[in-house]
Amino acid sequence: MIQYKKDTDNIVTLTLDMDQRNINIINHRIGQAFVPILQHLKDEKAKGQLRGIIITSAKKNFLVGGDLDHLYNEASMAESFEFSQTLQDFFRDLERPGVPVVAAINGTTLGTGFCLALACHHRIVLNRPDIRLGHPEVTLGLMPGSGGVIRLMWLLGIEKAFAVLTSGRRYRPEEALAVGIIDELASTETEMMERARLWLKERQEGRRRWDTADGRIPEGTARDHSIARKIQILAAGLIRDNHGNYPAPRAILTTLSEGSKVDFDTACRIESRYFAELVRSKEARNMTKAFWFDFQSIKSGERRPKGFGRFRARKVGIIGAGMMGSGIALTCLLHGLEVILKDVSKPIADRGKEYTLGRLKALLQSGTITAEDEKNMLARIHTSESSEDFISCDLVIEAVFENAMVKTKVIKEAEMFMDQYAFLASNTVSIPITELGKNFNRSDNFVGLHFFAPVDEVPLVEIVKGQQTSEETIARAYDFVRTIGKTPIIVKDTWGFYVSRVRNTFLLEGIQMLKEGYSPALIENLSLQAGMPIGALALADSLSLPMVLKYEGQAAAFYGNKYIQHPAVGVLTQMVDELGRPGKTKLAGFYDYQIDGSSQLWQQLGEHFPVQQQTADRREIIERFLFAQVIEAVWCMQEGIIQTVAEANLGSIYGWGFPSYKGGVLQYVNDYGPKAFIDRCRHYESLHGPRFKVPSLLRKQVEKGELPPKSNGTSG
Amino acid sequence: MIQEAYIYDAVRTPRARGKRGSGSLYEVRPVALLAHILKALQERNDLDTGSVDDLLIGCVSPVDDQGANIAKAALLYADWSYKVAGMQLNRFCASGLEAVNLAAAKVRSGWDQLVVAGGVESMSRVPIESDGGALLFDPDVMTKTSYIPQGVSADLIATIEGFTRETLDAYALQSQQRAWHAQENAYFQRSIIPVYDRNGLLIVDKDEHIRPNTSMEKLATLPAAFEKAGAAGFDAVAMRKYPQLERIHHLHTAGNSSGIVDGAALVLIGNREQGEALGLQARARILSVGTLGSEPTIMLQGPAPAARLALQRAGMSAADIDLWEMNEAFASPVLKFQRELEIEDDRLNVNGGAIAMGHPLGATGAMLLGTLLDELERRDLQTGLVTLCVGGGMGVATIIERV
Repeated sequence: MIQYKKDTDNIVTLTLDMDQRNINIINHRIGQAFVPILQHLKDEKAKGQLRGIIITSAKKNFLVGGDLDHLYNEASMAESFEFSQTLQDFFRDLERPGVPVVAAINGTTLGTGFCLALACHHRIVLNRPDIRLGHPEVTLGLMPGSGGVIRLMWLLGIEKAFAVLTSGRRYRPEEALAVGIIDELASTETEMMERARLWLKERQEGRRRWDTADGRIPEGTARDHSIARKIQILAAGLIRDNHGNYPAPRAILTTLSEGSKVDFDTACRIESRYFAELVRSKEARNMTKAFWFDFQSIKSGERRPKGFGRFRARKVGIIGAGMMGSGIALTCLLHGLEVILKDVSKPIADRGKEYTLGRLKALLQSGTITAEDEKNMLARIHTSESSEDFISCDLVIEAVFENAMVKTKVIKEAEMFMDQYAFLASNTVSIPITELGKNFNRSDNFVGLHFFAPVDEVPLVEIVKGQQTSEETIARAYDFVRTIGKTPIIVKDTWGFYVSRVRNTFLLEGIQMLKEGYSPALIENLSLQAGMPIGALALADSLSLPMVLKYEGQAAAFYGNKYIQHPAVGVLTQMVDELGRPGKTKLAGFYDYQIDGSSQLWQQLGEHFPVQQQTADRREIIERFLFAQVIEAVWCMQEGIIQTVAEANLGSIYGWGFPSYKGGVLQYVNDYGPKAFIDRCRHYESLHGPRFKVPSLLRKQVEKGELPPKSNGTSG
Repeated sequence: MIQEAYIYDAVRTPRARGKRGSGSLYEVRPVALLAHILKALQERNDLDTGSVDDLLIGCVSPVDDQGANIAKAALLYADWSYKVAGMQLNRFCASGLEAVNLAAAKVRSGWDQLVVAGGVESMSRVPIESDGGALLFDPDVMTKTSYIPQGVSADLIATIEGFTRETLDAYALQSQQRAWHAQENAYFQRSIIPVYDRNGLLIVDKDEHIRPNTSMEKLATLPAAFEKAGAAGFDAVAMRKYPQLERIHHLHTAGNSSGIVDGAALVLIGNREQGEALGLQARARILSVGTLGSEPTIMLQGPAPAARLALQRAGMSAADIDLWEMNEAFASPVLKFQRELEIEDDRLNVNGGAIAMGHPLGATGAMLLGTLLDELERRDLQTGLVTLCVGGGMGVATIIERV
């Protein structure tokens, strides 16, 4: 577990090396493993035979985790708190004035692992580009619980500590040094250990700022009026940014505020109490389910067809240098691929490249990439007006505008120059892949890859399997999507696929509320307060109302006489046909759009859809928004559009911004309580009609106590 | 057996700009300010201070120069009998009126005979919010309770009520003109006690925040004061409670909000028996009070329900009130209050208010009571109602009747 080595200078090196794991994860066991070692070290110190301690790792990482499996299986609040306190005591013992301790960090160190690093008197980090450091707990709805919050506050001050803790960023070593959470960089492991020894030899005692009589928190405490004001503004900012839906940032801010007013040990205990509360919060469970367990399940390739070797794309052809095409090009560049960006003429293709270069400049300025990265990427993008240049591409993605004839034409052209190992993909939002595929010689090599705008920001890609698409092509598409750092979900080739279809239920529900006489501002505000990234009406505008109608038309064709029209459709046709307001592209939809990018709700909306509801049940409105999506997602499971819970959940969060504090669209059922959810659906069905009817799949599974919902469908 | 509570006298200091540099009373400690008007009250009523039971002093930031029970400190410093008890209290902006109401309650219960009530605030010495506090600064409390700064609340009221910037500025201009007119005609003379230094040299003898030269044009140039706070997140906090609003219009400025000033005020309240024994002349009777909480985010809408409560307790209706004082913390809560109770323009804040003269937080309620009483006497009217909007979402109202 922990290797112990003492050298002739009386410097002890403790090397973390956890059994039965290929990485070091901090848990209740590692704390206990340290107990006899610490005792031994105390004895050595008493005998004057201990100069200092270096903590390092034998694994590729230094120390990461919280052991999430353990954390979530704990029986009680008391145990969560105890777990946190045990680690707090251990870390405190390590740093108490006395033998100096250096963390020689030779691998990724995150979360509770970083708490250990912060509890050492000095942190030296190996400057290796893959190493990441910091506190990402907030991304799982958690916060550090082992002194990380309080120690960061004492190192950086309240404001900076809050920024580091709530960003959840995993810093590269140079960034970590610049932010001030580590002390030194070393270019090799040998240098790291030498520097550690040197640092220890230069001092008799390790003592933290908070263990000195005149130690002060940088910038001051929450007792200082100027800091109290900043905290007040930060608290308001939390509401502005997440509508109070996420308890972790609030707990972090409160811990900092309270913790700055009391002594160090009490502050750490307060941190443990908030931590224990968060560990047991629904939000943390939901977010951990989505971003840890569901993410791991997708990353592990659960849905990738088995038996095909890993596909390593090197060169990607992209047809169409518009917003989607150049966005895909940018994403490929950022992940080390070579790109041929083709359009009908070289100047048009060059315009797409210009966009890509502009985005790279911005990334350079924000420090996300280095000047050298940028140079490399520039060398890897080429523009073209001829499909001949696709000759050495491993795949070609068409991203021209949404027209089946045009798409068919450009793909047929590309196909002529591609070898038999390469595959072809269409970035369509609404044209069936099976239909398109019929036009090609090798339709088994043809697949849908549905990207979302802005491509470099949305982490999801829908892989759409047509009837002719081969399993091997799916496996390749899967590998490609992973290569460019996106999360793939595999969906069936029917109207709207998964994302568009479920997302539409949200905006239709909002439009229906307009029809019912709710004020448009209320609809928009409660969309946002529910946790959606954009108001229902604004979303409809940005997709364009005719597009939403087109999906409805496809649904009508697909279901035939079983189709039940959504009651909001009439509003859409009225807006488009009678009022001439098709959406954002024409600067006129539910909103008025100005050239400068600003917008406000259309003033005359009230004349056509008068406000009749003088009061609104906030809970019901928010639930209607979320329930509508959840029910549609369950239908998608039932119809086999989507196969796994993990894909449904992450697809909803990444694809259209379903609120992550709910853990995704299916986890919402668990969050709500399955039986209560079904009862509530019946309530809404009685008030609002059959769109709130519980799909039989969910009803049966809940009756049998099987949850979360499983798919009914055949494979893709 | 209920005793009636009579008002025998009311005094106040001038309201001086609450600023280092331009404010006359910045150099005067708040304890000295309070001691000064205690002495004045004693002298002009030829008061045996040993016959006073208690001194109740409203103070909103009771720390530093105003800390450690400034009421008792001022009593001793003013050489009042040590037999008089003293207490500082905090009902935010209504503290001074709350002190009056509590004094009246003590007298009406029969347990005290004669009580001095009032308030003090040296906003230049002890700036607003110096006392910190969970309601405003504890992130867990503020986010849970949807706290927003009062200025944003005022803008929220203006947005919901549809008040325009012109409406608010016009109200502000009227406040300035009325206050200037009242000052020029010495309407405040009966209550104002000039402040002298320890050598008897005059420091200030009249309200110094009034701007007689202001105009709609000048007011229109002032920037919105609470736009930044709104954008920082407080608009979003407000819209959690008021989601029907597309956005909050930030219309309040330094010109149509109350001024920051220093000042102190006292009211002498007692039963008939004690008044007669001391040879005091009763000026008015406290008929009823209303105290309640209101929706805390919009915060400043307590006065209307508090006034209705007080009216109901007195068996009166709004039409029975001759003159009204509603504290001009901001223009919008006053206009909202006026709209709700259907008060005619020439009965509300007839001599201006805090927009022109400033709002010395803990003292204002007692000052308004004195101003109202003086004006009832000047016009020979009978009934008046004083009310203030209060932080945290509260309202306090008091009805008086001349005797």
